[in-house]
Amino acid sequence: MNSIYIHIPFCEQKCFYCAFASFDKQFDKVEKYFNALKKEIDTSPFKLKIGSIFIGGGTPSAVNPCFIEQILRSVREKFQVEKDAEITLEANPNSLDEKKLKKYFEMGINRLSIGVQSLDNRQLKTLGRLHNRKQVFKVLKTAKKAGYKNINCDLLLGLERQNFFQLKREINSLKKYVTHFSCYMLQVEEGSPLKVMVEKGKVKLPQDDKVAQQYHKLAKFLKKNGFEQYEISNFASNGWLCRHNLNYWSRGNYLGFGLGAHSFIDGTRWANSSSFDDYFIGKKAFTEQLDNKQIVEEIVMLGLRCCLGFRLSQLKKYGVKLEKNPYFNEFLEKGVLKAENGVIKINPDYYGVSNLVIEKLIDF
Amino acid sequence: MCYIIITMNRQEKTRNFCIIAHIDHGKSTLADRLIEKTGTLAKRDMQNQLLDSMELEREKGITIKLTPTRMLYNFEGEEYQLNLIDTPGHVDFTYEVSRSLAACEGAILIVDASQGVEAQTLANAYLAIDNNLEILPVLNKIDLPSARPEEVKKEIEDVVGIPAMHAPCISAKDGTNIEQVLEMIIKEFPCPKGEENGKLKCLVFDSYYDNFKGAICLIRVFDGQVKAGDKIKMMQTGKTFEVTEVGIFVPNPKTTEILRAGDVGYIACSIKTIQDVAVGDTITNALDPCQLALPGYKKVQPVVFCGIFPVDGAKYQELKDALEKLKLNDASLQFEPEVSQALGFGFRCGFLGLLHLEIISERIEREFNLDIITTAPGVTLKVKKTDGQVLSLSNPSQLPNPVEIEYIEEPIVKASIFAPPQYVGAIMELCQDKRGVYKGLVYLDSQRVRVDYILPLSEIVYDFFDSLKSRTKGYASFDYEMAGYEKSDLVKVDILLNGEKCDALSIIVHKDKAYARGRNLTEKLKKIIPRQLFEVPIQAAIGNKIIARETVSAMRKDVLAKCYGGDITRKRKLLEKQKEGKKRMRKIGSVEIPSEAFMSILKLDDEDK
Repeated sequence: MNSIYIHIPFCEQKCFYCAFASFDKQFDKVEKYFNALKKEIDTSPFKLKIGSIFIGGGTPSAVNPCFIEQILRSVREKFQVEKDAEITLEANPNSLDEKKLKKYFEMGINRLSIGVQSLDNRQLKTLGRLHNRKQVFKVLKTAKKAGYKNINCDLLLGLERQNFFQLKREINSLKKYVTHFSCYMLQVEEGSPLKVMVEKGKVKLPQDDKVAQQYHKLAKFLKKNGFEQYEISNFASNGWLCRHNLNYWSRGNYLGFGLGAHSFIDGTRWANSSSFDDYFIGKKAFTEQLDNKQIVEEIVMLGLRCCLGFRLSQLKKYGVKLEKNPYFNEFLEKGVLKAENGVIKINPDYYGVSNLVIEKLIDF
Repeated sequence: MCYIIITMNRQEKTRNFCIIAHIDHGKSTLADRLIEKTGTLAKRDMQNQLLDSMELEREKGITIKLTPTRMLYNFEGEEYQLNLIDTPGHVDFTYEVSRSLAACEGAILIVDASQGVEAQTLANAYLAIDNNLEILPVLNKIDLPSARPEEVKKEIEDVVGIPAMHAPCISAKDGTNIEQVLEMIIKEFPCPKGEENGKLKCLVFDSYYDNFKGAICLIRVFDGQVKAGDKIKMMQTGKTFEVTEVGIFVPNPKTTEILRAGDVGYIACSIKTIQDVAVGDTITNALDPCQLALPGYKKVQPVVFCGIFPVDGAKYQELKDALEKLKLNDASLQFEPEVSQALGFGFRCGFLGLLHLEIISERIEREFNLDIITTAPGVTLKVKKTDGQVLSLSNPSQLPNPVEIEYIEEPIVKASIFAPPQYVGAIMELCQDKRGVYKGLVYLDSQRVRVDYILPLSEIVYDFFDSLKSRTKGYASFDYEMAGYEKSDLVKVDILLNGEKCDALSIIVHKDKAYARGRNLTEKLKKIIPRQLFEVPIQAAIGNKIIARETVSAMRKDVLAKCYGGDITRKRKLLEKQKEGKKRMRKIGSVEIPSEAFMSILKLDDEDK
């Protein structure tokens, strides 16, 4: 499958923990940015059949929906977008209303990814989020009414005063509206306001071990409620797996448009610059042609982060015999990995420590 | 006839001497001052502790290697050639001291005017007396308010037994009375009395490796002369070489035409094989050799042993080269190949003491840029087996099964500890705790006592010195000599990681202490071993009996960060970095342990101090 990612780097307010390419004081650049984005799409040298589009950010719902409409139109003119393509829009509860939701639906967006993060108003405030609990449910109800069948909620783990019972309550109240949960662990990024708050003792985050315990409990609880874990952070009900992300993890082709967006076509990875000025003149952050070793690293790394796994025979093509790695056999023996018809998969119990497993396997 | 007078005269104008002292009494500072006063180096070229050329020496404030310097000094209208050979002060390096003594006629004995006679003052003075050297006592640090020169002079006379009433009182730091020292060197020390026209006879008292010139021999010429182009012979190895260069140290090497009887300098002969140079060997002329070699040195026996392994197994050969190069000017360093199940190929090395061990491992890491793992230091044990066989072993992993052992003997030492009287209680408590046997208590004067003990060597190599220092606020000094072997109730404590024995972590301890050490080791390892995919039980065992256990719980999460917008590159790079960071880890069975673990098991916890 081929995918397209479109980056919208604008936010009403940058969250206190955010380290992504997004800006809350650059709204004067919106028009110029969308012009550049349109040009980038129009002049793309690739001809691809597109199975999924992901409009991420930043906060795509923070800009006027007309801009999104215009961009989607450009994409459809340039590329052949499949009829049943998954088209996701990232949104924040406070910047969504009935009008916008209807408009997005009309332009073909069929999946919403809503940055809920928490249903505790105090926690939301600490994170620098602009919405509250009430708005979340209002938006979810409106979206349902507008016709969206596929909705994801982002939730954060490792928040101040968060415990498993809170998470359980939140899942219970959200599950009837959504098909998908993404549960990420809060990272205190270098240079973020959150980091300063933690250092000054204004925010007290729970211990890693406690968070890890909650994560494992949460995974079990979600499974009990029909949400199958198919990646470290992702849970889907009734087969509503995110096809866009699966394409990343299966090393399918994708084109990224916009500030700091990454692309991967036939073994070459590149990324746009993350600064507006450089992006406007078409500067790339990097381009890399993967060598065999890096390809194998990626196959193992991506395959073991999710339910897809990888084929042993696929590695052989690149001259790597994993069977010779003593760790590989040890992991199989101890049930960390499972082999099914030549496909190696990680035991979901070990998703949380997959890096440790991967690191040992790519030691060649 | 006339010629002989001139040459006799030349030797009469030469003095070869060294400076001996207890550590930190100001040996290197006096050497600096002498070099400065004689104008050997311009003041702008002076850097503190000039002769301590190794980075490590300056950092630790100690002298490890010998360094000779030729100084010229005009005294009463005559020019004298003064050859100074600096010596180390620490107890571990007694051997090096005796090497330089053999190249001299006189020794300056520095004594700190406030601290007085210390253990190494005594030990080094006796070494000098044994070598028939003239000893000139000098009182240093006279500028300190606590200086008590008259008392200390009396102490020297009483304890060391040499006249000290006329000893110069100096301050090497601010340069007070340095001329007086120079004058006494010329007046008191005998001149060399070699036969300049006799057959060549030189003592190799040190050597080092130069990448361009090959092995350089530091020599004292006793008889005859040597110059570039001469054919020389190493009397011990029988190898012959052609001299490419001779020279002196001022203090940097400087080429000269010739070295004659009485001189101290160096010879280079493009010696590429390090083993061809033996420190203590006698060099003679290959075409006209002398009959008898110089007595040379007594071969020193290492007393402390440990395993040294490269962190990266592929660097075994590099480690071997490094050890060989270090051995070139450190004959006391011994090593032989060792294979450990846990650590792979490496060497079992013998040292003169713990400081020596520490210095060598640091030099390997710094000067040869190698990452190494050192295992717990131990001593040589004599094991009598039930079948009558007697084994001598220095590696815990070679200890036979307990059922095959009739008895074990361990080396013991006679230790003398010098300290102010108020610390006697603390010292005795420490010695008792270290399985010591009290031998005596001598009041040297109102300020100092000497406590004599018989102690097992293995207790000293563990942490004795640090404990002594901390219990006496640094006032105690300590010296020991080997005193044979004694039967002892020793057991081997093994460490099991995830049920598998890790040979490199085994230690041999006294039965009474096995439980405490076992507990201590497992606790330390728990702190050092990072959490892994599975839970790791750490056990200490004597034979099949588990005496202590700790558990490193399994890792719960590593990273759950968001994989964003298809940025796979960042993820892969993070992973590669993470993998690289684990390179210093060793895999024992299925457990990964950082290389620091092997050494850290000797470090003290606060409660042991």
